[in-house]
Amino acid sequence: MTDTTTSTSKTVNTVLGPVPAHELGVVAVHEALLSVVPGAEYAYDITIDRAEIFEILAQKLTDFREHGGKTIVDSTGMFHGRDLKLYEALSRSTGVHIVASTGMGPEEMLGGYFLTPQTNPPTPWPAEKFAGLFAQEATEGMVVPRLERRGAAGMVTVTATRDGMTATDESLFRGAARTALATGIPASIRFGKDALVELEIVLDEKLPADRVLVGGLDRRDAVAAGAPLKVAERGAYVALDHIGLEDDDAYVNDRERATLVLDLVKAGHGGRILLSSNAIGVAKGQLGHDVAYSYVASTFIPLLKSLGLSDADARRILVDNPRDLLTVR
Amino acid sequence: MSKVNTVLGTIPAEELGFVAIHEHIGYGMPGSELDTKWWKTPEQRYEETVPKLRQFHEYGGGTFVDATGICNGRDVDYYKSLSAKTGVHIVACTGFVGGDTALPHFARATVDYLSRQFIHEITVGIGGTGAKAGIIKVGVSRGGRMTELDKRIYRAAARAAAATGVPILTHLAIDPEPAVAIFNEEGLPLDRVLFGHVDDGVNAPITPDTWIVQQGGRLGFDTFGYETELTDPPFWARPRKDRMDHFLRFVQGGQVDRVLASADANCSPLGWPGVKGHTVNYIFEVLIPDLRNNGVDEETITRIFVDNPADFLSIRN
Repeated sequence: MTDTTTSTSKTVNTVLGPVPAHELGVVAVHEALLSVVPGAEYAYDITIDRAEIFEILAQKLTDFREHGGKTIVDSTGMFHGRDLKLYEALSRSTGVHIVASTGMGPEEMLGGYFLTPQTNPPTPWPAEKFAGLFAQEATEGMVVPRLERRGAAGMVTVTATRDGMTATDESLFRGAARTALATGIPASIRFGKDALVELEIVLDEKLPADRVLVGGLDRRDAVAAGAPLKVAERGAYVALDHIGLEDDDAYVNDRERATLVLDLVKAGHGGRILLSSNAIGVAKGQLGHDVAYSYVASTFIPLLKSLGLSDADARRILVDNPRDLLTVR
Repeated sequence: MSKVNTVLGTIPAEELGFVAIHEHIGYGMPGSELDTKWWKTPEQRYEETVPKLRQFHEYGGGTFVDATGICNGRDVDYYKSLSAKTGVHIVACTGFVGGDTALPHFARATVDYLSRQFIHEITVGIGGTGAKAGIIKVGVSRGGRMTELDKRIYRAAARAAAATGVPILTHLAIDPEPAVAIFNEEGLPLDRVLFGHVDDGVNAPITPDTWIVQQGGRLGFDTFGYETELTDPPFWARPRKDRMDHFLRFVQGGQVDRVLASADANCSPLGWPGVKGHTVNYIFEVLIPDLRNNGVDEETITRIFVDNPADFLSIRN
């Protein structure tokens, strides 16, 4: 009973407001609801039909719920199609908790406001300005551009350039770390070239490692470098977050992911594993990635169990780990 | 009959009247909409904007060309309401202020895709507004040289201009050789291109204005009013007399048909503080009296603000 008392005072930021952490249930921690490449909303050949988008996402969230899912994190940040009013309506309608995120990246995906501001010289934004922008979204609410703020962001997510971090990517990472430190929401980093090196950037800001999710650790190069284990040893969360992606040479397949999970559990890092699919509910201006949000719970966890994962560890991975990460400190 | 696309429909060029050729209802760098420090209520937006346009109309202004590109806060439904309520024709643009204001969807696009975007906005309409673009905006990114993306946008604009007959207006005329080469390669006559901002304080010294005219291009003296005499001048400000002398070299040197003039003011800036006190009405309140004081006659003033813009803006096909 003491557990209940403490957990009710702890909350997670969702688009409908703070929710007691113990209510989260099974969480999909790295997914996309509506994902719009910046600028695609102005394209002559792209239609954004909100009613149609709602219908598709509601169906996918309902499927997620029917497979035991209770909470989904839209980890696309603040400038990739995030549509708060749509997410609020979806959450009310489907009963799935929706956590939306702040943050941006990599540099290529940023607007010119952050890269070539109207100053002479046009100095790109430093970490402290990104920290200010993101932290306000976690404390005062996320923005509907030029209109209003809504609910608070539940995660700050940043991404680095694949070929290697740019100076602005580093500012984004440091800004995210400062945001997490100042507001208590977790930071998600999608590494570019080297997961460990880039993780050290956010840890250098004195952010405790257990406030950091490192995404994309099922990338083949990261696996080959032993990054998943090293990230866990450093104390950060290891996100194997392309579950269901079987036909991309850049990533290991589900069977290899399963081996990774079991190895991490065996090494005592079961408390640091997160599983997700990076599925895209509706994609605009890019190729979709149409894996069901329920895929982890309905297909991958049974695979893990058939290979020897205990029920307790499965629950830990699906429920406890994401809850601990998402709980605002 | 010569026609021009405005946000409220296609009109005869004869109806344009006095034209401010390079202005902004409100400009902001892409992404500035996320930063609440710039937000204003709609009441405040209209309060800052409507009186300026009404004053422009009362001074005899007929047409306001908005040079705010895609992704920079261009808001055509808002422009339609402003035009309808103030009686000022507003011409909206397609295109981009520069490669560094094109968001990833467009930054990754091919010349062919970009030209289809521009042609669609000129011939079918901008988004769901039904309004057609009347000019194509292109420009040089920060840094002084045309980037690969800038060049892709220029080439797409050249194709769209050739296909639709709508003219091109540039942000900056520095590093114009690649631009002129692209326009020539695409078969676009250079009198369909207004090379803008030849007069600003930073770029005037490095802009080969005479060379541009020799190639057949038009020159935009379109940052009138951004002067070092202001209390808090922007970095691109220039002493008033320097700019006027520069302008007069062309106006009084037999090149009056090659120049257009404007103030590049924001009625209500979207993602920057703007420059206090600087409005489109600088043209009537300061520039035209200055021109008269310098001996420029009424006929010449009419050529600069009425005849040249009508010739330039008329859809040529």
